[in-house]
Amino acid sequence: MMRTRVPLYGVLVLLAVAFLAPLLWALSGSFKPRGDIFAYPPRLIPDPFTLDNYQRLFSGQPFWRWFLMSTVVALTATVVSVFVCALAGYGFAKFRFTGRRLLFGVMFSSLSIPFAVILVPLFVMLVKTGLGSPWFALIVPWVAPAFGIFMMQQYIVQSIPDSVLEAARIDGAGEFGIFRTIVLPLLRPALGALAVWQFLQSYNSFLWPLVLVSDSSQYTLPLGLQTLFVSEQRQYDLVLAGAVLAVVPAVALFVLLRKQLLEGLSTGAVKG
Amino acid sequence: MTTALAGQNPSTRDRAGETDTARRRKQSWAPYLFISPFYLLYVLFMLVPVVVSLWLSLTEWVGLGTPHWVGLRNYRLLATDISFHRALGNTAVFVLVAVCVVVPLALLIAQALNTRGLRVRDLWRTAYFVPVVVSPILVALIFGLVFDRQFGLANSVLRALFGTGGVDWLGDPSLAKVSIALVMLWRWTGYLTVFFLAGLQNVPRELYESASLDGAGRLRTFTNVTLPALKPVTAFVVVTSFIGAAQIFEEPYLLTGGGPAESTLSVTMFIYRAAFQRQQFGYAAAAAVVLFVVVFGLSQLVNRLLGIGRAS
Repeated sequence: MMRTRVPLYGVLVLLAVAFLAPLLWALSGSFKPRGDIFAYPPRLIPDPFTLDNYQRLFSGQPFWRWFLMSTVVALTATVVSVFVCALAGYGFAKFRFTGRRLLFGVMFSSLSIPFAVILVPLFVMLVKTGLGSPWFALIVPWVAPAFGIFMMQQYIVQSIPDSVLEAARIDGAGEFGIFRTIVLPLLRPALGALAVWQFLQSYNSFLWPLVLVSDSSQYTLPLGLQTLFVSEQRQYDLVLAGAVLAVVPAVALFVLLRKQLLEGLSTGAVKG
Repeated sequence: MTTALAGQNPSTRDRAGETDTARRRKQSWAPYLFISPFYLLYVLFMLVPVVVSLWLSLTEWVGLGTPHWVGLRNYRLLATDISFHRALGNTAVFVLVAVCVVVPLALLIAQALNTRGLRVRDLWRTAYFVPVVVSPILVALIFGLVFDRQFGLANSVLRALFGTGGVDWLGDPSLAKVSIALVMLWRWTGYLTVFFLAGLQNVPRELYESASLDGAGRLRTFTNVTLPALKPVTAFVVVTSFIGAAQIFEEPYLLTGGGPAESTLSVTMFIYRAAFQRQQFGYAAAAAVVLFVVVFGLSQLVNRLLGIGRAS
């Protein structure tokens, strides 16, 4: 029995190496002196081991400012969008109302609008109306993703029975009160999954900040790192250190909540 | 009025699963309030920009002053713009890679992970998913190193295995496309695997049991039981991969800058370049409208055919 499994595990290990090796290589490279990053043959354990890249990153670059910008923007976007998605998902899941099918279809079809289509007009609209401040424009346009609403709607349909809501209604609870005190707590696993996803989306977003933010003091992490990356002498050593640090919150969040995320993501897709 | 309108549409009224509770709540304003934040944001940041894009595409505008109306001229220019044709062609290649390589590979991996009695399933799934979590800048950086012409990891491996390296992964026009495709593969396979695995775990076990009673082999079980049961997941995965790959930007922008010789220029890069590097906002908007028509049209068609995205 176990013998027949050997090829399977072999393939799985090879795949895992292929998926993780580049990341481990980057991690180890961030502790190597510049000349060693490209040394042949490549070695995984840095020798000599140095923190110099990190030190120069902190001393020469406003790394923490970029970091703060990214984190605050992503956290705000996450909190707001999870709330908006839960509201709308609940509305679609537990009420029958005129226009519901049409409105749901419109919401769902917004998944098929490529971002590049709204890139130019959104930029023009926000900048011309004076709403182009990163604190507004990096957050607000992204807080109502159809994907999240669909995920919430599916989860609510599958896991919150009408009887619970009806009992609360008979007790005289208001609709928003029911949502806040009964639905939101029951939604916690799905909210966790969506929150991680939204955080990653915002934290890692590149194209929109690239277009929007011109003031280097308001760069997000990806933008800041990009300036090091595209500079004349590709500063691999610095960018490696910065990128490793940048990925820490994302990976930490993912590792903590990965079960919820991995299961939550597929809610909806499975049943269609 | 609400009841009368709903009554005209028997399919909403009689759908299975509708309870008394739901029916009694038809007249309430509550659902509209619950969905209104989404719709407010949708109108402001989706619908209005799409309409503005349509209008901008009929103008010539450098980003300052008043846009100058030019009718369909931008579209006529696009029709003969070789760069735009290249961008469309490259994007089509990336879409094909996503749908015909990444999706089947994810299905295969999910199938392997679904093997009964597999140890540490969660660990494998997590390892394959990690690239999704990583910022595109790190992806570009890593693969810039992996594909380096002289010292990259890819060439080191080739040198170790075959004694020859020095492949110009990012500098040769056709290899550059392959390199971008490999990055897509690395970045998105684990993400799609999650969906397929969830789908596979939802296939009722009895179906497999009756298939084996009928004496169906592995391949027949796969084509007759697994694939039909996976239809909704596959539909979702194919459509999202298509939409995602059709908008590819970061990989070519950061890794190759669209080169060499525009061999990795994507439509989104074309739009970005036209608007923000060349100040041709109207022209960029026209390219965006073309992208919109193709992506939205095709994905609506597929959604309709496969029946996804309906309110149940």
